[in-house]
Amino acid sequence: MIFEHGLPPDTLSRRRFLLGSALAAAAAAAGAGGLSGCAAGGGGGGSSSSSAAKSKSNPFGVDSSAPLEMVIFDGGFGSDYAKHFETLYSKEFPDAKLSMTATQQITGVLQPRFNAGNPPDLVDDSGAQQIKLDVLYGNGQLADLGPLLDAPSVDDPNTKVRDTLMPGTVAAGTYGNSMYDLQYVYTAFGLWYSKSLFAKHGWTVPTTWDDWIKQAAEIKAAGIAPFAFQGKYPYYMLVPIMDLAAKHGGVETLVAVDNLEPNAWKSDPVKQAVEAIYEIVARNYYLPGTQGMTHIQSQTAWNNGRAAWIPCGSWLENEQLKATPAGFDMAFAPMPSLSGDKLPQTAIRAGANEPFIVPAKARNVPGGMEMMRLMLSKAGSVAFAQVAHSLTVVKNAVGPNVQLLPGTRSANAAVQTSGASTFYWYYPSWYAQLETDLENATGELMAGRMKPADWMNACQAAADKTAKDSSIKKFKRSASLI
Amino acid sequence: MITEEPERSGRARGGRGGLRDLQRFGDGGGTLNAFSHGFLAVWSLLVVLPIVWIVLGSFKTDNEIGASAWSTPTEWNLGSFVRAWTKAGIGGYLLNTAIVLVGSVFLTMLLGSMAAYVLARYEFRGNRFLYFFFVAGAMFPIYLALVPLFFMVRNLGMLNTYQGLILVYAAYSLPFTVFFLHAFFRTLPTTVHEAAMIDGCSHTRAFFQVMMPMARPGLISVGIFNVLGQWNQYILPVVLMERQNGFQPDRSMLAQGLANLLLQQGYSGDYPALFAGMTIAMLPVLAVYLSFQRQVQSGLTATAIK
Amino acid sequence: MRYRKYPFIVGFLILPVGLYVALVIWPYLQTFGYSLTDWNGESQAMHFVGLRNYGQLFDDPVFRTALWHNVLLLVFLPLVTILLALFFAFMLNVGGRGGTSGVTGVRGSSFYRVVFFFPQVLSVGILAVLFDSVYRPDGSGLVNGVLVKLGLEDPNHPFLWLSSPSASLWCILSVLVWSNVGFYLVLFSAAMQSIPRDIYEAALLDGAGRAGTFFRITLPLLWDSVQTAWVYLAILAMDAFALVSTLTPGTGFGGGPDHHSEVLSTYFMRNFQFFGKSGYACAMGVVLLLVTLVISIAMLRVTRRERIEY
Repeated sequence: MIFEHGLPPDTLSRRRFLLGSALAAAAAAAGAGGLSGCAAGGGGGGSSSSSAAKSKSNPFGVDSSAPLEMVIFDGGFGSDYAKHFETLYSKEFPDAKLSMTATQQITGVLQPRFNAGNPPDLVDDSGAQQIKLDVLYGNGQLADLGPLLDAPSVDDPNTKVRDTLMPGTVAAGTYGNSMYDLQYVYTAFGLWYSKSLFAKHGWTVPTTWDDWIKQAAEIKAAGIAPFAFQGKYPYYMLVPIMDLAAKHGGVETLVAVDNLEPNAWKSDPVKQAVEAIYEIVARNYYLPGTQGMTHIQSQTAWNNGRAAWIPCGSWLENEQLKATPAGFDMAFAPMPSLSGDKLPQTAIRAGANEPFIVPAKARNVPGGMEMMRLMLSKAGSVAFAQVAHSLTVVKNAVGPNVQLLPGTRSANAAVQTSGASTFYWYYPSWYAQLETDLENATGELMAGRMKPADWMNACQAAADKTAKDSSIKKFKRSASLI
Repeated sequence: MITEEPERSGRARGGRGGLRDLQRFGDGGGTLNAFSHGFLAVWSLLVVLPIVWIVLGSFKTDNEIGASAWSTPTEWNLGSFVRAWTKAGIGGYLLNTAIVLVGSVFLTMLLGSMAAYVLARYEFRGNRFLYFFFVAGAMFPIYLALVPLFFMVRNLGMLNTYQGLILVYAAYSLPFTVFFLHAFFRTLPTTVHEAAMIDGCSHTRAFFQVMMPMARPGLISVGIFNVLGQWNQYILPVVLMERQNGFQPDRSMLAQGLANLLLQQGYSGDYPALFAGMTIAMLPVLAVYLSFQRQVQSGLTATAIK
Repeated sequence: MRYRKYPFIVGFLILPVGLYVALVIWPYLQTFGYSLTDWNGESQAMHFVGLRNYGQLFDDPVFRTALWHNVLLLVFLPLVTILLALFFAFMLNVGGRGGTSGVTGVRGSSFYRVVFFFPQVLSVGILAVLFDSVYRPDGSGLVNGVLVKLGLEDPNHPFLWLSSPSASLWCILSVLVWSNVGFYLVLFSAAMQSIPRDIYEAALLDGAGRAGTFFRITLPLLWDSVQTAWVYLAILAMDAFALVSTLTPGTGFGGGPDHHSEVLSTYFMRNFQFFGKSGYACAMGVVLLLVTLVISIAMLRVTRRERIEY
């Protein structure tokens, strides 16, 4: 209703409403012809993609004069890096007209265009308004990126692009039997602290959960909250819980949860993990009010020395650039161990995310793929690391001569140390509704309104609901850490 | 409910002076009085403080805004307003909004008054049905129609165009406008209209030259309400005024532009510019209301008496 | 009067009705069509599934919760807003000390009239920023800041407002009331101004006090306006999308914590855009349409009274 509050002074009361019956009749009529009505909106396939002859230096056959349109999620990484990618593309194809749109409202901007069959050529589909990839894939809206993986790398024509990527990159973007999205940013998850603050108080970084809890008492005694978290978005707290569980149970737990196996959420590793995290709540080791704070509010409080630890992914440093005081010296720590863990303490959840896609119905599919190939070059990777303060999935792209911020450097070191014990969870990107339900339960847990046992029941119920729902497309993970 | 007959007056009761009665009317008891006045004052504070807080926010720094809602600005400069106007594009959004609103409010008023006039003053079969058909449209939340609407506008080739949004705004404002003006036209005396018709006016001329001028107060107030409603409309432009590809100009409406600024603040955006943008966005509507306040009152009054 | 009436009627109606049917009515009807399919919102591929979506709706506990919250808003939003607006309008128009000038508003009523209308000029985006800071859960929030300073709240356990299951929905209600009272105040004021003075004078001479005048004269004569306000506020209560989705916690259009502030519109949008269940969402939309319609009609029926002519 365009005008939320009208004020017709005329009296409606003396009028009889014929409306109810009229509308019911109209609705019935529409129901009968309802589907023809739907068809009226149909955008069929998009216009066919422009292309030219393929060659070694132009593996996808890009038409050098075809315009290329990118839509970039303007979030934690900003969008300036995309300008550097455009420069790389213009070097190859000087005649191509380029356009880049930065937005936070990916769904708002693109859902209609996907429906209408005129999507852009390359999309960074990310953020709170991400269009779910499983939904896009299920609708045949994503171009198969297999040709990209098998194309020669920009830096070395004798190496395939596939072989220049961090482990797990292909798996992260795989639906069915091919890769459909390129998860470009390599993100590490863990706990963050200020080196200078810890040095000032003589605290060390604990490696076991027991030590972590002991130290928390000490931190609290010093008048600082041991732990802040982004309570308004329970997504953030689900990460440490599940990472403790993964380290405790190893591959078995990863497979059980991701594959929606019965009672996966009631297994011992999950139980240990959630009980460990719940100690923070039970002992009041959190920043007052943090359960309702946004990521910006809680992270800023942590930056201002009001809390010692905060959980986050490695985009944190870039997100907090403006709020981080000088000499803060941001640093990353892997989750501490529970007793009897199957994975080493240095193991972290790290993996490719920030999905870039080439829509199947785009006007310039070859151009979109070529842009990805350029992004995966060393030049593209370095530009991203320096402009967006984050690492990409290109192996060893960032040489020692590249200047990095302390947090990025610290996360990068943790990634190297974790090496082969790096693991990754897939259910969040596979099952949107399950993730939402789990987050709701986690919010209740962290507010102390749900006990660990209730949380496990709620999560199990949510997983069972997803497993039973035939309208949701199911995926299977292999028996490995990533 | 029976009201007192107006003929009955103080003199009929004799003995008691009307003046003293009048004075006593104001004395609803001291405590009640204090309570009422206190309540009015408290509500004013509740309204004014948040708005002052927004204006103050334009002068703070990022850190002052992020750290606490209670911080006060340390220095007073207008840099944030400049940034909001130029970098954040508030100026452009205002212009887009003005272009659309001029068109859509005019169209709404024209079509709305035509329909309301015919429905209010001419008897014909289906009149009441049509009237309720229009009024019903006011009852539904817009977002339920969004997707089919998007395709409709797309098929007309009017996505991200001023004319497309003008048509949609007008269509969605019609229910309220017809509802309001219908009541208004019914209150106008018929004699003038009849005289005009006897003078040989056509129906159309009678409407434009006789009835419209008479209906001015009603038209002004419903016009203002439409300006307010369309000014604050958010979900329609987000769907219909997005660039369909990067080669099109950005024609965002103000509410949309503000929301974009608001979202950016979650990613190390420019808080003070956001607050400055909000301040700028408040001013035009406030000005419209203040300058037309009397007309709003009298327009409403005119329709309220039947 | 009779000449060329019908061509004129048709000529005047064809444009407004055409535009209205094409852009308003037709899309709503199409929504009904979509609700009978398994459409998932990202392409035009869909299959007819009959009433399956409607069947699922009635087994969906979140849907029931959301509906219940809308019912709560539906009762309290009009009630609180109209009571406040009536009280203010009465104070500003006829609540003053009469003196020799007869019936007037309290001192400063023209100032109040302008100020109370202010919230009307704030668009939803502004409300979101504003009340995010008002309800901020630590001592830096506008509300908690005051409570902590007054010693009414332990700074170590501040009240979470929007993230509190018991308060979240009421916080939203408060914002709705806050931003709407001014508008209805103007509406009721206008209606009160039009009540002939001598009716009041007569009541005075009969020795009626402030309250008596209000209940015996003002309210009955304002009944039409009150009724209208009620219907429009009810429609607003059935929506509430913008505020809930921007202010409350929860992934994909808020509604948290754990659905404690979920309303039909947010649940609709989440299914529509987030879970790829657009057909299901459209079914929800159709139910919402019907509920709104039934409630509006019922309201008008229930509040019917004889008009008082003056």
